[in-house]
Amino acid sequence: MKNRFITFIFAAVALAMPALAQTAQLPVSSPIEKELAARASEATEITLDKKMLSLASRVMDGKDTYDDATRQLIENLDGIYIRNYEFDKEGLFTAEQVEQLRKNYETGEWSSLVRNRDRKTGESSDIMVKLVNGESHGLFILNVEPKEISMVLVLGPVQMSDLKKVKSIVKGTVKGRGGAEKSIPTKGKSRP
Amino acid sequence: MEFEPLDDFEEKLKRSFERWPAPPELKRRLMENRRRRKERPRWFALPREVLVAVSLSLGVGVFAALYSGIASYQHEQQREGEAARQQVLTALRITDHALDNINKQLAAHGRASQE
Repeated sequence: MKNRFITFIFAAVALAMPALAQTAQLPVSSPIEKELAARASEATEITLDKKMLSLASRVMDGKDTYDDATRQLIENLDGIYIRNYEFDKEGLFTAEQVEQLRKNYETGEWSSLVRNRDRKTGESSDIMVKLVNGESHGLFILNVEPKEISMVLVLGPVQMSDLKKVKSIVKGTVKGRGGAEKSIPTKGKSRP
Repeated sequence: MEFEPLDDFEEKLKRSFERWPAPPELKRRLMENRRRRKERPRWFALPREVLVAVSLSLGVGVFAALYSGIASYQHEQQREGEAARQQVLTALRITDHALDNINKQLAAHGRASQE
């Protein structure tokens, strides 16, 4: 009887492992990010795990058109991790720091879709997707301008077509139920 | 009939079985105690109306506390949800901004390679 119980427990844990492994974890802030935030004139850091996305979805009750579209966009995601640093002048971050941000995603499971480097200006951009069994399970965007670094990490099932939806939502071109166009109220960026 | 002399233990035992008259004030003391117990107020001896009123008040108080707790929890959830919603919208704006910048970089790169 006792052996059967132990076998049952092991079987339950073994069955639960893949399900647990599928829920991707958001990264924790790296020391590089803290250095960049300290030097930036404006730093926006957003970390939304599945629970927070679920909370946000709940208040998106469909009263506004962009609420509907945004809810559809985020409801299956595992997390969103955003870091945006704006600097007063050029040269406040190094190429090595940017490389440190990028290197976590230069692994086998991340495939590069866009890779652009401009040695003259120091600008660079990357778009990578995380592929698991041929399915997209994450998106990483890193855009480096002379006075700005933007890093976007989205975990969960995300398609390239969703990027178009993001633009539609932000630019306010999502048609309302009555055909009217609505846009996201333009508020200042949230500061943590 | 002749008895053999009792030893100490048997003597004590015999004495303890002997009946002694009760002290004269014992009955009075017992009656006094009984009277005092009867006079002591008891909560369950309150009138039925008072008991019903107290029970109802307690019930209403518990209900109000529960309702207030649930309302407060829902309000907190709504507040957290609204904060999360604002963060999602900010995240979308930053993503869109980054994509715009990437498009500009790629366009500039394309122009440079054509030249």
